[in-house]
Amino acid sequence: MKQILLETEKLSKSFSGEGVLQHVLRNIDLTLYQGDFTVIMGASGAGKSTLLYALSGMDTPTLGTIRYGNQVLSDLSIDALALFRRQVCGFVFQQIYLLDTMNVMDNVLAAGLLVSKDKKAVVKRAMKLFAAVGISKEAQRKFPTQLSGGEAQRVGIVRALINHPAILFADEPTGALNSKTGLDVLDTLSAFHRQGQSIVMVTHDLRSALRGNRILYLKDGVILGECELGTYTQEDAQRTQRLNQFLGEMGW
Amino acid sequence: MKRCILLVGANLRKAKGQSVAIFILILLCACMLNIWLILSMDYKQNLERSHEELNGEHVTLVVSRNDEAMKEQLISLLEEDERTADYTLSPIMEMVGQFQYNGGKVNAPLLFIDMADAMNRRIGQIEIVADSAYDSGIYLPLIYRSEELDIGKEIVLSIGSQEQTYTICGFFNSMMYGSHNCGMIAMVLTSDQYEKLAALGYAPGALLGSIRLLKADQGEDYATQLKTSVVRFDSTVRITGNHYAMVAQSRFISQMICAGVMSAMACFILVIALVVIIANIINYIQEHMKQLGTLKALGYTSAQLIQVLLLQFEGLCVVASLFGIALAYGVFPIFNEMMIAQTGIPYHIHFVWQPFLFTMLILGSAVALVVWYSARRIRHIAVITALRQGVTTHSFKRNYVSLAHTNVPLSFALALKTALTHRKYQVTVCITMMVLALVVVFSGLMLHNMILDQEPFLNLIVGESADSCININLSHEEALRNFLERDERVNKYYLYHSESISHVGGVDLVATLSDDFNDVNNRSVVFEGRYPRYDNEVAIAAKYANDQDLRIGDEITLALGDRKERYLITGLIQITNNLGKDCLMTRSGFERLRPLQNTSYYVNLDENVEIDAFHEEISGYFGREVNALINIRTTIASASSVYVMLMSGIVIAILVLSVLIITFVLYLLVKTLLNNKVQEYGVYKALGYTTRQLILQTALSFMPSVVLSLGLGLLVNAWLINPLVTIFLSGIGIVKCTFIVPHMFNCIAGLVIVLFTFGLICLMARRIKRITPKQLLVGE
Repeated sequence: MKQILLETEKLSKSFSGEGVLQHVLRNIDLTLYQGDFTVIMGASGAGKSTLLYALSGMDTPTLGTIRYGNQVLSDLSIDALALFRRQVCGFVFQQIYLLDTMNVMDNVLAAGLLVSKDKKAVVKRAMKLFAAVGISKEAQRKFPTQLSGGEAQRVGIVRALINHPAILFADEPTGALNSKTGLDVLDTLSAFHRQGQSIVMVTHDLRSALRGNRILYLKDGVILGECELGTYTQEDAQRTQRLNQFLGEMGW
Repeated sequence: MKRCILLVGANLRKAKGQSVAIFILILLCACMLNIWLILSMDYKQNLERSHEELNGEHVTLVVSRNDEAMKEQLISLLEEDERTADYTLSPIMEMVGQFQYNGGKVNAPLLFIDMADAMNRRIGQIEIVADSAYDSGIYLPLIYRSEELDIGKEIVLSIGSQEQTYTICGFFNSMMYGSHNCGMIAMVLTSDQYEKLAALGYAPGALLGSIRLLKADQGEDYATQLKTSVVRFDSTVRITGNHYAMVAQSRFISQMICAGVMSAMACFILVIALVVIIANIINYIQEHMKQLGTLKALGYTSAQLIQVLLLQFEGLCVVASLFGIALAYGVFPIFNEMMIAQTGIPYHIHFVWQPFLFTMLILGSAVALVVWYSARRIRHIAVITALRQGVTTHSFKRNYVSLAHTNVPLSFALALKTALTHRKYQVTVCITMMVLALVVVFSGLMLHNMILDQEPFLNLIVGESADSCININLSHEEALRNFLERDERVNKYYLYHSESISHVGGVDLVATLSDDFNDVNNRSVVFEGRYPRYDNEVAIAAKYANDQDLRIGDEITLALGDRKERYLITGLIQITNNLGKDCLMTRSGFERLRPLQNTSYYVNLDENVEIDAFHEEISGYFGREVNALINIRTTIASASSVYVMLMSGIVIAILVLSVLIITFVLYLLVKTLLNNKVQEYGVYKALGYTTRQLILQTALSFMPSVVLSLGLGLLVNAWLINPLVTIFLSGIGIVKCTFIVPHMFNCIAGLVIVLFTFGLICLMARRIKRITPKQLLVGE
């Protein structure tokens, strides 16, 4: 029996502007489980990123609830949501968003020291994560502008993981990378997933989606269907075929 | 050009807040510049205009003898001198007197002139500026028009030991004897009152000579020579006089101080506005790197892009300057009223071209220069680099305050990182804080030495003060000394008497005499060398010594009538009574030239003694032998109240202005910083930082430069403020200010500013609340 991480009930999100009301998410009932690599797919404008930002407490839903354990995220204040993000979530952005005023190590510590006062332990964990993602000591002293895209995104993953997040959210993590570096990033995410890290990733890239064990398809703000692929070990034809078939059914 | 204008419009729309703040800074600067220029250019000319309209004299001489022989002698002296252009002699009455004004007492030689004569004098006539239907009474100089002295009210004049009460019929404007700064004050009596006073014999008859010269700048020499010649004719005669240059300077001390403060504030605001513009342009280039690259790729030249910025800021500057000048004319009536109360000379506000042109020119060229200087870097932007948002492949940035190695708490460490990364903001903060530090130190100095405790200011300006001054005829000097010796209310009395004396090869000096200068209250008048002890010694005004190239140890010849003696300079003094033309000598030293005819004694009384009651006793005891009884406390209070009022106004104005400027500058900086860091704050929020943490972090990032520059500014300015004030007051004979710098006030004010700045930045940084991590969402 899988342990529930996050649950949404009738989650809706609307945006209004210039007299037009746009419903981006509509009555979504969703349960995310511990240890899953959940991939949210869908066409552009389907509401993937909006769902991801709502689940991670970066945005508030218009209607419905998001529950994390005993906490209802929609009831939390802005500061309490910040604490939630700090303690529960890790986030990998498509545009990476490393802080370019500080070097690689400080980018990670700026997140790590926010939760733990034990600087030595944080630095130790950062070094371990850097080693795991293949960031050299020399690169740790560099500034974000001096890194390649792949290196920068791997630093982004380290930053997201520094506080042992219960869920790692990734928004198109390979979207701004070329295929080779994108693959490196995906391998990194897969490796952490195999170690038990729960991941929720938004993508519209098929190769990225193959890394997930649970695929959700979003269309017009509604989860149209889902597919179970099993834990990723390596890319194989059967797994690709299953995903293609599912996406075909969804009208991809 | 049309394309450039389109870009200017786009820039202005995008940076509305910054444009408004720069607009207000330039507007304030233009306003002050224009007021300063009007005060320094047209106000001085107004004095000259007024002088010419009244056919004013260049030299005024009052001789305490009014008979035919003296009149003939004077006429012959005036006509023999080739420098004389024209003159008028009038019989008047003259006596030292006093009256209530501004909560104190004015004490000066009063010239009683018959109304009919005053209006018809060919040279030095008076102009009635406020009249009434009262046909019997007195007309006063305009400067004294106040709540207590106004048309229909009564004025009590103390003449010697007598009192006379008159109804005020009106006010007049007179250049040379229309203020206590002239050394003599005219009191114009209606003919019936004049005759009545003459019949009473309280004020002896005198001769008033008003002389116009062919060359106005020869007044000082002319007056000195004329006095010497008159004394040579009659050594017992008492002569009071002044000349145009001295009166012009002394009547405009307040205007000079006000103009000086205005110019300083205008310069400070200009510096801040220019620094803000520079920071704005540098920031604009960084922020719009991609856009600039695109425009360059489209074919815009660097010169065109610089032109856009020039047009944008010059346009802003011209419009703000015009509004600023309009504002200057809007607020000028307030200044004018204040200035008329100080100078006593009416000024009709009108548009003056020169200040307008200078203001536009100064601001326009200063803004153009800094815009061109800071926009030059556009020329060095390579298109490819610009399109990559200025990112070059090799960055040699420093990682300030490494989080891995510092022991500073996280918020402080991140604040320090921000501070060090955005150093250009810190430079602007530093310059602003340095200026503010100067304002604080100046305000503290004025508050401590002039407004709350007037003694340091009075010691510097007046030189010596006590409770009472008694002038008595020489025949009764010994009796007075015995009286004062016996009186238990008297703490101390000492000779402190002034006489006019000539420096051979120089000009007339006011000599202050004492038996022993160890007795005087203010021992700081001699600031270099020592007080004269022997009869061949003199201490002279430092300003005069500088002008005449005299040093301690030199010998000078002083003369009175035909008698000349050599004196050794033992010290340098600073007293402003005679605009720095003063000297100190012992009584025996003066009497080598001529015996004294009357003597003035300064008296210190017990704290609870009523000075006026004491004077009544003296007057009753010595009767007509007493020439003058001066309540020094009330006299000083009256004379200094105008300065205190002026300085209080200036201090309040510059403090309010400083708060406004600080607010503008911080607003600009914080807004620009937040605009630049929207994405960074979004990332921080996504990482779990709270709004409060980020506001604190932003406010703290400004604090190192605020604290350091303010601390350094307060320290340096505390050290420099006396020399700076000396420069301001050098015109009135001050060469070394020794005001007490209130360090405690400075520390407290510094602390308040730091807290105020911190609070202000926190308030301004509340916009961070509106930044949400979802703004990082890129596309769908």
